[in-house]
Amino acid sequence: MKKLVEIRDVCKIYNPGENEVRALDHVSLIIGEGEFVAIIGQSGSGKSTLMNMLGCLDTPTSGKYFLHGQDVSHMTDDEQSDVRNREIGFIFQGFNLIPSLTALENVELPLIYRGVAKKERSLLAMNALSKVGLGQRMTHKPNEMSGGQQQRVAIARAIAQAPPILLADEPTGNLDSGSSKEIIKIIKRLYSEGRTVIIITHDPGIAKQAKRIITISDGQIVSDIMNPDYKED
Amino acid sequence: MYFEYIKSAIASIRSNKGRSFLTMLGIIIGIAAVLIVLVIGDGMKATVNSEIDSMGASTVTVSLDTLKTEKTFTREQMNTIEDTLKGIYGISPSMNFGAYFVTPRKTYDAYVSCGSAVKVNSGGNKIIHGRYFSDADVNEAKKVLVVCQSTAMKLFGYEEVVGETVHMDFYGYEADFVIVGVREDTSMDAAYASFGDEPTLMCDAPYTSVAEVISFNPDDQFTSFAIYMDKENKDQVISSARSIVENVMGLRGENAVKIQASAGMDQTTDTILNIITSVVAIIAAISLLVGGIGVMNIMTVSVTERTREIGIRKSLGARTGSILTQFLAEAAILTFTGGIIGIITGLSIAYLICNVVGFTFMVNPMLVLGVVLISTSIGLFFGIYPAKRAAHLDPIEALRTE
Repeated sequence: MKKLVEIRDVCKIYNPGENEVRALDHVSLIIGEGEFVAIIGQSGSGKSTLMNMLGCLDTPTSGKYFLHGQDVSHMTDDEQSDVRNREIGFIFQGFNLIPSLTALENVELPLIYRGVAKKERSLLAMNALSKVGLGQRMTHKPNEMSGGQQQRVAIARAIAQAPPILLADEPTGNLDSGSSKEIIKIIKRLYSEGRTVIIITHDPGIAKQAKRIITISDGQIVSDIMNPDYKED
Repeated sequence: MYFEYIKSAIASIRSNKGRSFLTMLGIIIGIAAVLIVLVIGDGMKATVNSEIDSMGASTVTVSLDTLKTEKTFTREQMNTIEDTLKGIYGISPSMNFGAYFVTPRKTYDAYVSCGSAVKVNSGGNKIIHGRYFSDADVNEAKKVLVVCQSTAMKLFGYEEVVGETVHMDFYGYEADFVIVGVREDTSMDAAYASFGDEPTLMCDAPYTSVAEVISFNPDDQFTSFAIYMDKENKDQVISSARSIVENVMGLRGENAVKIQASAGMDQTTDTILNIITSVVAIIAAISLLVGGIGVMNIMTVSVTERTREIGIRKSLGARTGSILTQFLAEAAILTFTGGIIGIITGLSIAYLICNVVGFTFMVNPMLVLGVVLISTSIGLFFGIYPAKRAAHLDPIEALRTE
């Protein structure tokens, strides 16, 4: 298995000095291509910081982060933007769709920033929407859709340009149990199609769906196990 | 790619129609105000200039410096000068008198411009009935009069008054004058004639006749006269007049003759009109500045409101430049559209005003182009601060805001 994500001895310290907060305290972690990982922890455990770090939204105070073998720990804003665009598909708890745009336009966004031409862009976006079962709702605006549908649009947006990593931050946090199941099912299917999936959650029920479960507490990884209860759908 | 940013800028303007319009309103009013002032200013200039042009032949005034010589122009000397100068219509001494028209019903204030027959070439002397007074009238001191339209209307109640006799009183010296011609009103004639209960009525008469009525020897009175000529001959006349006048008057080397070209008038009025236009335009430009600040204000609010959207875009890979472009495009489109609406509004209002006031309505295309450029630059300039703020937002912070 090839290394996709490699974090070496990373610390993230807020307010350096007497009242410093060590959100990440010497964390090292390797995630290979095609893995299905859940990172679980209570709020304040440092899991959000870790997710920001993995998603290249943040840079470590010390230590290194290699993504696809490339050192991404100290990059400029624009370089980080490019890496996010190329490598990572985000799925957020609050869906984070742009309300003034239709489902299709939302899915097209990362493709625009990548510079994909109009025709190809629409095609890729339509494919992605069909994949999450929203082929019929492309021209709907987010406020015309249910939470589950909105999250499916967000997933379509995350996979439209086929990034190697899907980074899902509490993807079912705002959803009822029915929609949650649906979303987890889609995520599992994407994994089985060969994508690397990382889910960040505080919910053991969600974490149990993953193949590998990493537990984080007080900024440190306290356990990293293969899930004995994992079952394919 | 830039097309995409512009498209998303338009989408966000449209999704906030009411506010976008209010933002534009500042620009619309500013642009319209500037345009109205400049177009009306141009129209005013054009109108005044064409009025100056219609004042007929150019004149040059020749006068004697009364501190250096006690000589005056006699009729004979003026005739000699008139004959010697080339390229002129003629010369006319100028005397203006206050007097009264005495009619059986009422006595009116009169203002009598006296001169020689060549005065027909001065501005506004467009004869509509009869004729102007002639050289013969002047030489024989005939008591004839050319009145303007409004004078005829006041005195007789109708315009065709050629052949009528009117009694005039030059403050004690009285005489009857026969009207030989009626000329068109100038705006000044009309203005004086409409001064409510006390109008002043304008008329022209041969200087010799009036001099005779008031027992006034025209040979020892005049220290100045006007030369009438075509515009093209003016420079030549100015250069040759001095030596001829000095010779005829025996004033060589005494530096006592002053030559004054009066058509400097159109330059002076131009300057005055330009100053007025500039001052008002500056005031109007201030409203444009206020409009620009309004754009900055709204854009700042818009950035704050859309912090989360900016965070989302950044997490999806938008670079700083993309966000900057999107917000700048939004500001520029707002002000550009505002500018276009402002131009249409401004030109319409300027057209109405020009029509009502009677100015020439003309639009310099460069002015319109300039206004469009200015309004767009205002958007870009005042959009820079909010757009920069948007572009440099930290995506984590931005995603956290609700």
